Amino acid sequence: MTAATVSVHKDGDEVHIAVAGELDLANAGLVEDEIVAAIDNTATNVVVDLTDLLYMDSSGLRILFTLSGRLEVLQIEMSVVAPHGSPTRRVIEMSGFDSLVELRP
Amino acid sequence: MVVSDPTANERLRRIESVTDVALARLKVEDLLVELLDRVRELLRADTVAVLLLNESRQELVATAARGLEEEVYQDTRIPVGKGFAGRIAAEGRPVIIDRVDHSDVLNPILRQKRIRSLLGVPVLAGDAVIGVLHVGTLTDRAFHQDDINLLQLVADRVALATQARISQVERTAAAALQRSLAPSVLPLLPGLELAARYAPNEEGGVGGDWYDVFTLPSGWLCVVIGDVVGHGLRAAVVMGRLRSALRAYALEGGGPAEVLTRLDRKVQHFEPGAMATVLFGQFDPSFERLRVSSAGHLAPVLAVPGQPTTLLDLPTDPPLGVRFGLRRRTSTVELEPGALLGLYTDGLVERRGRTLDEGLDVLCDVVVPGPPERLCADVMATLVGNQPPDDDITLLLMRRRVDNEIVPLELTLPAAPGSLRDIRRAVDRWLAGTEATPTDAADLQLVIGEACSNAVEHAYGARGGTVALRMELRPPDVFATISDTGSWRPPRGRNRGRGTMLMQRCSDELRVEHGPVGTTVFVRRRLTGPAS
Repeated sequence: MTAATVSVHKDGDEVHIAVAGELDLANAGLVEDEIVAAIDNTATNVVVDLTDLLYMDSSGLRILFTLSGRLEVLQIEMSVVAPHGSPTRRVIEMSGFDSLVELRP
Repeated sequence: MVVSDPTANERLRRIESVTDVALARLKVEDLLVELLDRVRELLRADTVAVLLLNESRQELVATAARGLEEEVYQDTRIPVGKGFAGRIAAEGRPVIIDRVDHSDVLNPILRQKRIRSLLGVPVLAGDAVIGVLHVGTLTDRAFHQDDINLLQLVADRVALATQARISQVERTAAAALQRSLAPSVLPLLPGLELAARYAPNEEGGVGGDWYDVFTLPSGWLCVVIGDVVGHGLRAAVVMGRLRSALRAYALEGGGPAEVLTRLDRKVQHFEPGAMATVLFGQFDPSFERLRVSSAGHLAPVLAVPGQPTTLLDLPTDPPLGVRFGLRRRTSTVELEPGALLGLYTDGLVERRGRTLDEGLDVLCDVVVPGPPERLCADVMATLVGNQPPDDDITLLLMRRRVDNEIVPLELTLPAAPGSLRDIRRAVDRWLAGTEATPTDAADLQLVIGEACSNAVEHAYGARGGTVALRMELRPPDVFATISDTGSWRPPRGRNRGRGTMLMQRCSDELRVEHGPVGTTVFVRRRLTGPAS
């Protein structure tokens, strides 16, 4: 079974959510639940850090697109960290998600 | 007072009644009931019951009864040596109580029934007591030698029927176990060829030997061979527990010595008296090196091209279950391309009329660094031949492929989310043998992952199905086909459908064919590595 860990760090109004491991159909539901549970309505800024995510497919993109739609309604800023040259960065760039949300670094 | 005084004819009728061949055709449970009915009638008794010793041999358990059915329903248990039935079991001879004094009788059901007279005989298998058969009357009765003889005759039938039932139960259990314990299918790996043989000696088809090959999440390949001391179901059950415990400990991480140390602790605590030899190895993902620890197991045989075949000189620690707290050792074996490593149990090399060393010499003579499947057949033919084996025989051969030999990858897995990771691991290994760059590899992983996800999500109904992957290298291109036997339905939910876009962007050619027998995705991806 595909495994990912979601670690959440809150710093004032900013929520830093790091997803490490692998993300596919098998665990996308679990990972999405954990991400969503970490964000309450006091947050003003959410950083999704995918630095240590080794594999992500369209089920991961689905989470990112859904999340960005929801956060827009809640007026919460969102950014995604995915290092240049990483497989995750490539998937995000191919999907055009970087036109919706700030991609770092 | 009724006195039984059968004539010679009457005696014959009685014997015929309980040795009737028609009885032999009944199923065991029906036979017991039929026998009890007949004996109740013949002895003009009111109650009749069979109690059998349980596995601990400390207690008699009511197994069948007439006129006393509640004994069975209430799972009546009588300690050996106590009360009427317990005394018969302890002494192994008939007991008559003409006038029941209820201090002799332990069983409250006999008291409630107000049984006045009792006759009981042991149920014997050979010299061993396996149970008690007794009859009781509600009126005073003097039982005679003839009654004892007849009841003993019935007890012998009960013994046979019971033995038959036990072996029937054991056979059924053994068959179920065999299915659950049968070695798993060997994985198809790009860099390592595997083949195995498992010939249990036991009739039930399971023994204490096992081999196992599995992959850890880290990508390391684990190989196991083991032999639980002992025979039959008991050894097979312990084997099954060790096999699954070893997998669990291996999953926890740590090297071979660490895993065997944990397994040893488990054996000493939970399987007192059990002993097993085990050899456990972990291959690095390139299959160049094997880290291995041996708990008293025979040394693996190593065949390297151009060199004589030898037994590996490995440090060997004591078997599992022997001594607590020792330090186990891990050593490293280098496996060059084309080299073959063989693991086996003593059943392969030990034979009556041949010493162990002679057997090992024969093994070294026959093992060559060739294709494992054919070599398995040769080894079995040479060492086992047409001799019925005295012991279980297990053989596991693995040969590292020559570097430039990239055979197509073929695998079929359940179309379930849990398979996706296994597919990625297999693709990773296969690609490691090619000159794919990290980007080539990431793209191929993605396109294959998406195609497989589609099969998982859209191809099948609730019954499920399988997804098959084939990859072939025709430089500079990799061709991959992903097929299922279902029919894709349109994606459901929002934010879907990006998978197809990713598949297109990550391949040089993509074709999806929906046919009457399933869907196949054809992918071509050019490698951008140095070779192209």
